[in-house]
Amino acid sequence: MAASPLPPPDPRFVLRGTQSAVHALHFFGGAQGQGHPLLLSGSLSGLVHIWSLQTRRPVAILDGHQGQCVTWLQTLPQGHQLLSQGRDLKLCLWDLAEGRNAVVDSMHLESMGFCRSSVLTRGQGKWMLAMPGSGSDEVQILEMPSKTSVCTLKPEADAKPGMPMCLELWQAESSPRPLLLAGYEDGSVALWDVSERKVCSRVACHTEPVMGFGFDSQKARGVSGSAEKALAVWSLDEQQALQVCKTHELTNPGIADVKIRPDRKILATAGWDHRVRVFHWRTMKPLAVLSFHSATVHCVAFATDGLLAAGSGDQRISIWSLYPISSDSSTSSLGHVEHREVGAHALA
Amino acid sequence: MMAVFDTPEEAFGVLRPVCVQLTKTQTVESVEQLQAQLRAVSDSALQELQQYVLFPLRFALKTPGPKRECLTQSVVECLTFVLSSTCVKEQELLQELFAELSACLYSPNSQKPSAVSEELKLAVIRGLSTLMHSAYGDIILAFYEPSILPRLGFAVSLLLDLAEREKSKQIKIAALKCLQVLLLQCDCQDHPRALDELEQKQLGDLFASFLPGISMALTRIITGDFKQGHSIVMSSLKIFFKMVSFIMADEQLERIPQVQPKPAVGHRVAELVVHREAKWVKNTSDKLTLLIKKIVECVAVHPHWKARLALIELVEALLLKCSGSLVSSAGPLLKALVGLVNDESPEVQAQCSRVLRHFADQKVVVGNRAFADILSESLHALATSLPRLMSAQDDQGKFSTLSVLLGYLKLLGPKVNFVLNSAAHLQRLSKALIQVLELDVTDLKIVEARRWNSDGLSASPEPMAVQPWSRMQKRYFRFFTDERLFLLVQQVCRLLGFYGDLYLLIDHFLELYHESVVYRKQAAMILNELVAGAAGLEVENLHDKHIKPSPKELREIVTSILEEYTSQENWYLITCIESEEVGEELTMKQSGLQAIASGAHTYQGASFPAFSKPSATICSMNSNIWQICIQLEGIGRFACALGKDFRLLLMSALYPVLEKAGDQTLLISQAATSAMMDICHACGYDSLQHLISQNSDYLVNGISLNLRHLSLHPQTPKVLEVMLWNSDASLLPLVADVVQDVLATLDQFYDKRATSFVSVLHALLAALAQWFPDTDDLGQLQEQSAGEEGSHLSQTPAIPEKGLENTTTAEDIEQFLLSYLREKDVADGNVSDFDHEEEEQSDPPREDESDTGPDIEPPLPVQVQIATDVMERCIHLLSDKNLKIRLKVLDVLDLCIVVLQSRKNQLLPLAHRAWPPLVHRLTNDDPLAVLRAFKVLRTLGGTCGDFLRNRFCKDVLPKLAGSLVSQAPVSARAGPVYSHTLAFKLQLAVLQGLGPLCESLDLGEGDLNKVADACLIYLSAKQPVKLQEAARSVFIRLMRVDPDSTWFLLNELYCPEQFTPPHPRLHPVQLRGTTGQGSPYAANVLRLLQELQ
Repeated sequence: MAASPLPPPDPRFVLRGTQSAVHALHFFGGAQGQGHPLLLSGSLSGLVHIWSLQTRRPVAILDGHQGQCVTWLQTLPQGHQLLSQGRDLKLCLWDLAEGRNAVVDSMHLESMGFCRSSVLTRGQGKWMLAMPGSGSDEVQILEMPSKTSVCTLKPEADAKPGMPMCLELWQAESSPRPLLLAGYEDGSVALWDVSERKVCSRVACHTEPVMGFGFDSQKARGVSGSAEKALAVWSLDEQQALQVCKTHELTNPGIADVKIRPDRKILATAGWDHRVRVFHWRTMKPLAVLSFHSATVHCVAFATDGLLAAGSGDQRISIWSLYPISSDSSTSSLGHVEHREVGAHALA
Repeated sequence: MMAVFDTPEEAFGVLRPVCVQLTKTQTVESVEQLQAQLRAVSDSALQELQQYVLFPLRFALKTPGPKRECLTQSVVECLTFVLSSTCVKEQELLQELFAELSACLYSPNSQKPSAVSEELKLAVIRGLSTLMHSAYGDIILAFYEPSILPRLGFAVSLLLDLAEREKSKQIKIAALKCLQVLLLQCDCQDHPRALDELEQKQLGDLFASFLPGISMALTRIITGDFKQGHSIVMSSLKIFFKMVSFIMADEQLERIPQVQPKPAVGHRVAELVVHREAKWVKNTSDKLTLLIKKIVECVAVHPHWKARLALIELVEALLLKCSGSLVSSAGPLLKALVGLVNDESPEVQAQCSRVLRHFADQKVVVGNRAFADILSESLHALATSLPRLMSAQDDQGKFSTLSVLLGYLKLLGPKVNFVLNSAAHLQRLSKALIQVLELDVTDLKIVEARRWNSDGLSASPEPMAVQPWSRMQKRYFRFFTDERLFLLVQQVCRLLGFYGDLYLLIDHFLELYHESVVYRKQAAMILNELVAGAAGLEVENLHDKHIKPSPKELREIVTSILEEYTSQENWYLITCIESEEVGEELTMKQSGLQAIASGAHTYQGASFPAFSKPSATICSMNSNIWQICIQLEGIGRFACALGKDFRLLLMSALYPVLEKAGDQTLLISQAATSAMMDICHACGYDSLQHLISQNSDYLVNGISLNLRHLSLHPQTPKVLEVMLWNSDASLLPLVADVVQDVLATLDQFYDKRATSFVSVLHALLAALAQWFPDTDDLGQLQEQSAGEEGSHLSQTPAIPEKGLENTTTAEDIEQFLLSYLREKDVADGNVSDFDHEEEEQSDPPREDESDTGPDIEPPLPVQVQIATDVMERCIHLLSDKNLKIRLKVLDVLDLCIVVLQSRKNQLLPLAHRAWPPLVHRLTNDDPLAVLRAFKVLRTLGGTCGDFLRNRFCKDVLPKLAGSLVSQAPVSARAGPVYSHTLAFKLQLAVLQGLGPLCESLDLGEGDLNKVADACLIYLSAKQPVKLQEAARSVFIRLMRVDPDSTWFLLNELYCPEQFTPPHPRLHPVQLRGTTGQGSPYAANVLRLLQELQ
């Protein structure tokens, strides 16, 4: 028994029916007694599918991007509202409450790039939105839902980081000042202080554009993936200076998306090599290579209960249940992760 | 006779002489005279003269000295007559008459009834009865004073004695009736008013003295020989329970003071008086319990239903009125009651159910702690002895035992949890159930029964049964054969599920399911019924306030059981000896190849010689088969239990069920189909097809995940196959998705699993061909594949119409010559503009479709993409070393061509690549493969003739022609058996196929001649008839392509007539064909020539 390798892990189940490549995924927790959790997926053909994870079937299909690829999906904490960003240069706000699915508001985007937007909740129904701006290297910050522009973050003239590729708005627990992490085309990651409109720190992580990153605000540590063959782990010190801690070499180049699980125990990457890789977040130890898809994996997403979803160019969404989140979120589950090296055999 | 004398005076005048006469001479005659006169007196007059008339009669009775019996009898009868017409109004008279009548039956010396005639006994009994009825108003109550005790006692014991010992049934019945009257329990109309509490108590005190005697005597009568008849038993039972429920009534006993009041009677009588205080009650109750037990045991099996019905009455009365005093008898009483629930007599059943329901309504059991305890105890005792009873009793005994068990559960209702909550009780009960349900797994047929039609499911489902689970597979149990027993156990389990703590029960039986393979099947059966019961399916609920589990709870429970059932180790069991490969062979669709099929049969027969004992492995395989069947049945039950809610479980349940629907073991596939029907029914799908197509996404999910571990899930391709047979075009995207997985897996497992994959590909392409029929070419294609002769001539417009016309006119000849000249011109290169135009017009209009700009290639339709992908694989697999795979691949290839027929751009390059291996199949393979390859060739010829023409003529035709020529002498010589050989089939197929091929390939003259030459020999009458027919079909086709040369060729072979030139200046024509009738070709050539004219 010990000699025979464990069979490669299988997805819990697979969602089919988008009939086009999947580019964005987002779990919708089914909070407020709405019952079963939902998964939202955005496809190349411009449709947003709302999947019931109970029946594993779409409950609704939203068509609001004129057949252009949907790149980003995010629900807002209050109300059943959904933001979707499409390559038709539109950001749509949907009302999903009580089975409705109508666009209640939309905004025009200036940038043709691939950069996904980011949202930070500010309380009292207010939230802040970061999205690629009109200038190719700019990031625009808006106060929502009033759509008042807060500022435009433009790198200094000599920096030339290229287009922003991925954004994350956040705020440290100690201070209410909103901060923005942005990955750029030149492979660097920058930390902006939004209120002061200046770059706090910038560090070159990759030689290729940053395709996605995950950030753990508690540990002030992040991990980014790019078109190249490595993951970069970087951290933020007290002076809010970014520095690269280490890089992790991969077998195949190209990471389309990186997500850290809400319990900050593991992270998953979406690979151009059709695979999803799972790492231990603290040690960056590779845990599993999930091979199921037959085309580039474009996006990954974690649900609060630990479910992992991966969307791919092969038009399928695979749902994985890997290392169950233990009910108490103490360190015990961490040891659990280290002991169960399910997929280590499959590392190539 | 009418009363004549209405007034007392008149009556007196008449009666006086006869009364005087009687007083003087006490003879039968005088009594009769009196009686005759009495009849003429009205009742009211007689009432006035009652004492007067009675005097001589009583005097006659009291006269000392020996009397003749007949006199006594007539006196008693006369007395009875008077009493029946009048009332006794005086207390003293009543007592005296009572004493005098009683005295007639026993001699003063002994207390035994004297040896008198039966007639006298009957007369006295009737007299007593009439006397008691004639007592007027309250004097009857005054009669029952303690002082009467001795006399009453004598009478009672006398009557009991008569009832017990007399031979005459009439006397017995009369004695019992009289006893009933005497004890004031008569149920006739004209009886005194209802008694008040005090009166009841007094009477109760009085009668209590007789209780021991009465109850024991009656018990002896009741438990006597069945032959005495049911009416005696019924009457005795009635008196028994009336007495007991009167004397032991809780209502009365509650009011009995502890200290006995001083009775106002003499010492001797006082001794007889009973005080019903607690101790007496206890003693009496104990003794009664013994008697009741005896009675119940005896009457419960009484052959007459009315006796059993009376028993129910007894139980009801005693349990309702004496629940406190007779608590120790409750056990046997309840047992008797519940045991009769399933009585064979519908009247008894109905009454029993009524009483049970009444009890439940009154909360007799549930509301009574003691009863509930007794029932729990009884249930436990029964559970303990159940295993022993089940192995020792015969079916009838088992039936009643299980009926009792069922009845207990019904009565206990929700209180059954008291029993279940005790681990020991639950253990007993479950062990017993498990033992009862043990299956007999030695039957050979179970393993042997095979499903031959591998795509049975694709056929339209049979009409749904009204009751989903009414169709049950016949099971054989080790410990019983009566099917009713299983139904009882089923009901028991359902009731448990309905009333019991479901979580506790499910946990317990799941544990047993895990514990040992010995218990597994039974535990699964029980689990199935528990769930069905929990949902209230076919459960008779006696307890109205019972809360059922919520749908969500039930769903969660079902989910966990389903997980167990369908887990790797419980679902994928070994059920047949044959390896996968042999199994495949057996289920392979063999259209017309009986040789192979029968071979498989004999092989199988040889593996299980009929005389050998079933081996251990067969038993274990049987056991496995049953386990799977039971689990499948369970899934059906769960669906019924959950209803529409089961839809949420389809994602995990449908795939395994479908997997089993394709199983080769008949029983399993039947069970799976039936489970699917249940699912359809429960979830609201109209048909199996609907069910499958609506849930294809779930199936595809399972299929695609299982394909990743094919060695663990070898059945996966089968499921896909079944799904494909039942899907429609709307599922194409899903199918396309999973086909990618299939092809990827096939590429990975070329060597090992090709067989099952090829059949999937076959199903896939067949589905595609059906979903996307090519409307342009369909008619033609069907005709091609039908390949039958005869129909063609009528359907297809013959191309050279002129050749087939009957009469040749001068204009025809002119036309012919003109066109001949024109064609000759064209052949020489003199092409006119006019001709050119015409040629362009005749171009197929489809041409420009494929010419739309080579630079922008529109994406291929999915079905075309799939077909090209599959055809690609077929090219590789065509040369597989396994013949069966080659055969199947040829079928798939055939279908690929059909699907791609209008897509020449895709088809032709693939056909080009497929050609070399196909030629190899045609020319250098097993005859079976040649046959199939030839079929492919025909399809291909029908689709792309131009492409095929040269290749066919170069690579194939010479070989085919050669083999036809070389085989001809063989078939000409062969006997009738030859038509069963492959060589014959090959010849036939080639001959049948050549005609359409020649036509569709538009072969040149030289090649047509080759075909004709090869086929001519088969026109010989020496060839088998079928081959002759086929050869004729070739020539009919040839006639259409080139009528003239065919005509010539046929005439060269056999020339039926001399040709006279139309004009004497022309040369006479002489053809080479012989004209003699003896030619073997004569018949066929003649028929063909007739077609030509």
